Amino acid sequence: MKKKILFINIIVVIAVALTGCWNAMELNTLGINLVLGLDFENGKVIVTAEIIEPVPAKEKSAMEKGSAVTYVQGIGDNIFDAFRNITLKFDRKLYIAHNKIIIFGEGFVEGESANDIDMLVRDHELRETTYFLIAKEAKAYEVMGIAAGLEEIPGNYILKLINNFKYNPKAVNVNLAEYLRHFYDMGRQPVLGIIEKKEKKQINKLKKSSKDKEYELSVIGAAAFNKHRLVGYLNGTETKAFNFIMGKVKTGIVTFPTPNESVDEISTPTLVMESDIDSQRPSKISMSTIDIIKLKSKRDVEIIDGNIVLKVDIRLRGSLEEFIGNMDISSDIEMKEIEKACSQEIKNKLMNTLIKVQKEFETDIFGFGNIFHRKYPKEWHEIKDNWNEIFSKSDLQVEVKTNVIRTGLINEPIGRIKGK
Amino acid sequence: MIHLISKILNNNREKIKSMFNNTSDLVIYEFETVSNIKLMVCYIEGFIDKDLLDKDIIKPIILNLDNPKDIEKIIYISGMEESSSLQEVADNMIYGSVALFIDRISKCYIISLNCWEKRAIEEPQAEAVVRGSKEGFIEDLTTNKVMIRRRIRNNDLVFEDYIIGKETKTKISIAYIQGIVNENILKEVKKRIDNIDIDGILESGYIEQLIEDSHISLISTIGNTQKPDVVAGKLLEGRVAVLCDNTPHVLTMPKFFIEDIQSSEDYYSRPFYATFLRWLRIFSLFLSIILPGLYVALQTFHQEMIPTVLLITMAGAREGVPFPAVIEAFLMTLILELIKESGIRLPKAVGSAVSIVGALVLGQAAVEAGIVSAPMVIIVAATAIAEFAVPPLTESIIIYRFVFIFLGGFMGLYAITCGLIMIIIHIISLNSFGVPYAFPLAPGNKQGLKDSVVRFPLRDLIFRPKALEKRNIRRQRNMRKK
Repeated sequence: MKKKILFINIIVVIAVALTGCWNAMELNTLGINLVLGLDFENGKVIVTAEIIEPVPAKEKSAMEKGSAVTYVQGIGDNIFDAFRNITLKFDRKLYIAHNKIIIFGEGFVEGESANDIDMLVRDHELRETTYFLIAKEAKAYEVMGIAAGLEEIPGNYILKLINNFKYNPKAVNVNLAEYLRHFYDMGRQPVLGIIEKKEKKQINKLKKSSKDKEYELSVIGAAAFNKHRLVGYLNGTETKAFNFIMGKVKTGIVTFPTPNESVDEISTPTLVMESDIDSQRPSKISMSTIDIIKLKSKRDVEIIDGNIVLKVDIRLRGSLEEFIGNMDISSDIEMKEIEKACSQEIKNKLMNTLIKVQKEFETDIFGFGNIFHRKYPKEWHEIKDNWNEIFSKSDLQVEVKTNVIRTGLINEPIGRIKGK
Repeated sequence: MIHLISKILNNNREKIKSMFNNTSDLVIYEFETVSNIKLMVCYIEGFIDKDLLDKDIIKPIILNLDNPKDIEKIIYISGMEESSSLQEVADNMIYGSVALFIDRISKCYIISLNCWEKRAIEEPQAEAVVRGSKEGFIEDLTTNKVMIRRRIRNNDLVFEDYIIGKETKTKISIAYIQGIVNENILKEVKKRIDNIDIDGILESGYIEQLIEDSHISLISTIGNTQKPDVVAGKLLEGRVAVLCDNTPHVLTMPKFFIEDIQSSEDYYSRPFYATFLRWLRIFSLFLSIILPGLYVALQTFHQEMIPTVLLITMAGAREGVPFPAVIEAFLMTLILELIKESGIRLPKAVGSAVSIVGALVLGQAAVEAGIVSAPMVIIVAATAIAEFAVPPLTESIIIYRFVFIFLGGFMGLYAITCGLIMIIIHIISLNSFGVPYAFPLAPGNKQGLKDSVVRFPLRDLIFRPKALEKRNIRRQRNMRKK
């Protein structure tokens, strides 16, 4: 009995001494935060928080869109100071354990103050799965508060956009943990997703909007970093090429000029950077599409005659989804041509992107440095301090192989002229 | 007091009267035969079969008795004893015997004619089954014995009767199967029953509490059931049953923890379904103990563990609720117990009204008025439903539930984990008549585990629980071995 009492006492004492979560917080004292915006203005940090307004489910349906959240800003000398200054004007404690997205205003990363994110890692509340986004050419708070989809909460709208990565690799989804891993990496530089505000075309004329303009957000593209310095943006096509090289593409499509239809254009790949929305290709060229079923990517580095060669090897298995042209796709020879055209198109895009990153950004966002480190550990220690420089001067070698295994429901293309 | 029977009838009458303190239900009837022999019968009113007494005893005696010595040839009744001690006569009369005194004979004939009003055999409401026997024990010990005997028609099935309770003189009966039962356990049960020294036994719950191992534990280490097929099953496993007069609840011992999540139907239905049901019961056991506490802990300490969308919904529901979550949970659980308790006690017609008022007013209106949050009502309702999946443990579940609400509101998941660990330690440390209470789980036993959280096909359940009996352990031939 004495032993038992002693045992119970010990447990009680340990229980009191070891609790890490002694501060109970009732749910209705918390301001649940979904999105944080960080800006840097006049030497002060501005934190913008998107806070959920807790509304009973019954009243929710009666609410108008956009009233599910509220915004509050705090200004301070660093992030935590700005955070605590929020309590002076907001009645609840900011609770960032459910924070999904942190948006950096462009000014925040340009001013090398990306160092200041220390608090985001040090604080126990924030999750490492929080996505990082750069507001392209805007302040963070300018892109906040827009919900152009069906989601009522703007934060969830952005989150769904990021999660759409699996359908369209023209964006990247990088979270805090991944960013930090590359940030500390000698052989790879970080890449972050970007977010842009764009004007939305008003198609629904029936819906009378009180605002003159409606906005929507887009996460197309990526931002390349050299350590904490923002060096430039990749557009959608380049981001897709980046994801191809990194082997991050699970599903997606490749659109390429149909062979035989535009032979001249294919043989001279343009090095002109194309914008995504209005393609600079002449509209007469027929384009076909392959849906990616499986994509394998292998990066390699080799020293050939003292020169460093960066190698990318892509194996793609796909199904033909759209074919505009006049070819017999049931024939092996013609299918080979289609596959070749697809490979060529991918190769061009990959080369363009690699050259742009090498020449313009001079930062190894592909992680070739890590591969070099593994393969040539001795040489690495000599060159690791100026790897980015060496990277930008290395030779490139891209190999793409496409294999079309399905052709959809029909064999004959709709545009095929019978008897030709 | 002189306890010897006198030759004079009047003396005996006065002695009997004074022994029973002139109680009003004592019937003394004097009569004379055709051949002028004086006789007297004494019995307790309502305790005997009066028809039988009149037709088969008094009538032949009056008509035919010429010589008092021939009495045994005239009465057509089995179970007649002679006695010369008045105390013995009185002792038999309180169990429903008729005492027959004959003038000028210093002996008394005790004729067992006991017969009293009994409840019909019904299906026990607390242990209803879909498949299996619908019979339940009643308040009569003899009938209960018959119900067990009908299931085990074996001369090794033994009932040993005891009379305990100094004032109530209650008849109890220890049942076991000779050759299967572990002698040491049987000896221990008998020893503990012999040690009972209480004035009255009104229900088997008295015996349970007086002979169990740890009387201050929340968990009972003696099983009880109202179903004869359950008792038969337990006897076949080598357990001892204690039947008590005047109650349909029969005790079985030793008891394992795992028995509470087993049901007689498990053995009658397919093994997969039985296993599923057992998992369901374990799940609901956990649910009904820790769910309100867990909810409170998550809501006050670990908001980061709740999925965001759920948290938003929960936060919306909690908006404007005046109480902290722990008080809310405590109040709602208390009110649930209140509804349950008053539902049992109230007359049936009013009982349903109370449940409607409880459900509607306390559930719906309280949520609409914003006094409690809707998720809390859901949690408490789920808890209440889960609790009834493991009826034998209800008593301990309710107490533990309040403890866990307090722990969860006080120190969060940490305290809940500590609480669970302490309960498990407690369960493992319990003993029931020298047998570890957590038997097939701790200490582990491969054969025992086949009939624990899973129920193997019957042809694989070859052995009896090893903790109970080590010698006669085989139940059936291993059908897989040719």
